[in-house]
Amino acid sequence: MSTRAIQRIKDETGLLRLALDRLEQSDSSIARLNKTVVKALIESNERILRCTETKAPFIASYYAYGPEIYTAMDLPWYSVAAPITTPIAVMGQQALECRSLDIPTELCTAIRLSLYYIENDMCLPPSASIAMITPCDGMQIMNQILAAKDDWRDVPMFAPDPPYVEGERALDYYAQQFREMVAFIEEHTGRRLDIDRLRKVIEESNRQYMLWSEYNELRRAVPCPHGYRMGNQVWTMVQMLGPGDPRCTAWLQELIAETEQRVREKRGAVEKERIRLFWYDIRPLWIHEFASWLEREWGAVIVMDMFTYNPYTLVDTSTEESMFRGLAKRGLYDVPMVRQERGPADHFADDITRIVKDYRIDCVVFPAHMGHKAMAGTVGICREICRDLGIPFLYLGIDLFDSTYTIPGEVRDRFSKFFAAMALG
Amino acid sequence: MTTKSKPKALQEFSEAAKAIVNPAVQDWMDRGGRVVGYFCSYVPEEIITAAGILPFRMRATGSTGTELSDAFFSSTNCSFVRHCMNMGLKGDFSFLDGLICINSCDHVRRIYDNWRRKINTPFLHMISFPRKTGERQVEWLRGELTLFKEALEKYLGFEITDERLWEAIRLHNETRRLQRQLYDLRKRENPPITGAETLATMVASTAMPKLRYNQLLRELLQEVSGLLGHCDHSARLMIVGGMLDDPGYLEVIESQGGLVVTDSLCFGSRVCWADVEEQVGDPMAALAQYHIIDRPACPRMYGEQPRRAAFIRNMIREFKVDGVIGERIVFCDYWSGEHFLLDKQLKAEGIPFLRLDREYQLSGIGQLRTRVQAFLESVEGGKQ
Repeated sequence: MSTRAIQRIKDETGLLRLALDRLEQSDSSIARLNKTVVKALIESNERILRCTETKAPFIASYYAYGPEIYTAMDLPWYSVAAPITTPIAVMGQQALECRSLDIPTELCTAIRLSLYYIENDMCLPPSASIAMITPCDGMQIMNQILAAKDDWRDVPMFAPDPPYVEGERALDYYAQQFREMVAFIEEHTGRRLDIDRLRKVIEESNRQYMLWSEYNELRRAVPCPHGYRMGNQVWTMVQMLGPGDPRCTAWLQELIAETEQRVREKRGAVEKERIRLFWYDIRPLWIHEFASWLEREWGAVIVMDMFTYNPYTLVDTSTEESMFRGLAKRGLYDVPMVRQERGPADHFADDITRIVKDYRIDCVVFPAHMGHKAMAGTVGICREICRDLGIPFLYLGIDLFDSTYTIPGEVRDRFSKFFAAMALG
Repeated sequence: MTTKSKPKALQEFSEAAKAIVNPAVQDWMDRGGRVVGYFCSYVPEEIITAAGILPFRMRATGSTGTELSDAFFSSTNCSFVRHCMNMGLKGDFSFLDGLICINSCDHVRRIYDNWRRKINTPFLHMISFPRKTGERQVEWLRGELTLFKEALEKYLGFEITDERLWEAIRLHNETRRLQRQLYDLRKRENPPITGAETLATMVASTAMPKLRYNQLLRELLQEVSGLLGHCDHSARLMIVGGMLDDPGYLEVIESQGGLVVTDSLCFGSRVCWADVEEQVGDPMAALAQYHIIDRPACPRMYGEQPRRAAFIRNMIREFKVDGVIGERIVFCDYWSGEHFLLDKQLKAEGIPFLRLDREYQLSGIGQLRTRVQAFLESVEGGKQ
């Protein structure tokens, strides 16, 4: 068992506890909501640590593979390449340190960060691993490198194979991949999937998706009731920490009550909202400082981003087959990043058109993260869609993780010039 | 060098590799033949051949800029894709009757999205190619290839029969067998053909009718098998990487004294090391089985790294390789990961490994020479 990996989890848990202590000192409604998220993050780490102590099974996996299945199997899991429990400041520092790896720096920094954890024995070998080989080439090579690592060589690994095209045939194939994944997990963890239990979990997660949809509808309000942070918390809760967990449902209900209150009072994320942004990518690690500047200087609010948006497709729980197909469909067409980058570029066009209209967006920001190469190949398509919609489009070309790739001051300057040129704000 | 002037067949292969519309393609079109372009060696040429069409593997040979495609791609997209799209936008591929893409990598798959929106090619098709190598994936690909064949039949207005498919499979297998014979000659102590010449020969196979190609390759084999071969090289090298279609790149490497005796390239051994099984059930199943299971995989295929490394180790033994050069186009993630692992694995076994990053078009020749020279010195030092 990797000592460094366990220590990493303990260290991160310690930092999360500090964050929780800080939140305890506030009784604001936002702090209350954030506290629940931080508690869920701590609990997620503690469950993994307990497994290492008791030798109980746990797995490495991803949000795109029907995490409701893991809830139903009562199987703790964590993500190698989506380390949500790692505090942003720590990750920011590690993003600089991972340059020392003997791998080209033009490889996505998120992937290099994962390789940094792998090469430094900071990824805890699980009972079994579900490898994600979508939505980008980097994910696949990361898993190959992980499989070759000494302390992971004996970890059984399974990768659901995502079809590139869409349609019934693709769903049949991918649902079958999910079934094989379940059989693989059962074999290597000794846990069994009870279909009735899965149905209950999915029914609960369906409620969560309906609430997510409701929350995002509230974000259509002008002014937008919350800034960049809360939308991502919803994703973290629904697809990472609490899929099918009634506590997550209760949190969403509390969030909606809080948001409704804000909308009724016309209370926005900023005092005077002047620009509504659609940030079409994941949030950068340096978002806090940057978004604060956007809000303060320009009254600009990130109303929607890649991870906050979701098509909220519910899973039909009538039969075992419909549940597997529904989870496969969600994993293939809906979950953020996979939705956009896995297949043909059609979702980019559809999402921009829908979000711009639904959320009264003033401009679309295309960060063009250095690692998102499939996305980078859609820049012309996205620009044209925006041109047709008559919406200003800002292409950046940044690293969402390494803040030194493009100096934050330079990014701010680009925004200022763009807003001024487009007469926004 | 002990070889004489370039054999006639090799001259024709070099000409085919140097141009897009080479004399063989032009001649085919002059006789009313159709041409369909395809990206990636995982597209089964046999189906196109069976339709009576000339399959042409997409390259951007001769491209000098990316001024038109830069609006559609970012600077983090590889130069191969940007040059290809640029040529497409300029109309350099207007001779194509169709274009076939697969989801080979993050860069190439976006060509399909942009091409279908911006370039008017009569027949356009995307094959969803699995990333794993199991029986279910063979079955999925068989379905995909059947859909592709049906789409092509609809476009052409006639059926592509199993007989024609088997005939095409036999023809392409013959190409592979002849190509392997060429590689066999390179196992000699003094190989009669250079790495650059071999690459030109391999590239030509994707840009001329197979019947003509096979005939020329037979002539070449006859002519060079009797030669004494190259004896003045300081090291026997293997090239491992992705999209390398420029023999000029290997010429620069070989100009420093090394001789490229084998490779793991998709314009090289990976496309000829195995045959499609003939006359076994359904031709679509045979093609799917070949591409998923039988042929050497490229890094896009998940879980195959140990088998890929074993393939390279076998090559090293069989061809008595002194050092391995990994080449990759900048921004190619697959090959950055593969070279990362190979570097560790080969060096642990005492096999020198050099990683070279490059742009699609040959550039930075001085730097390339210097790095290869230094590598060859270290290889020679190791031998002593």
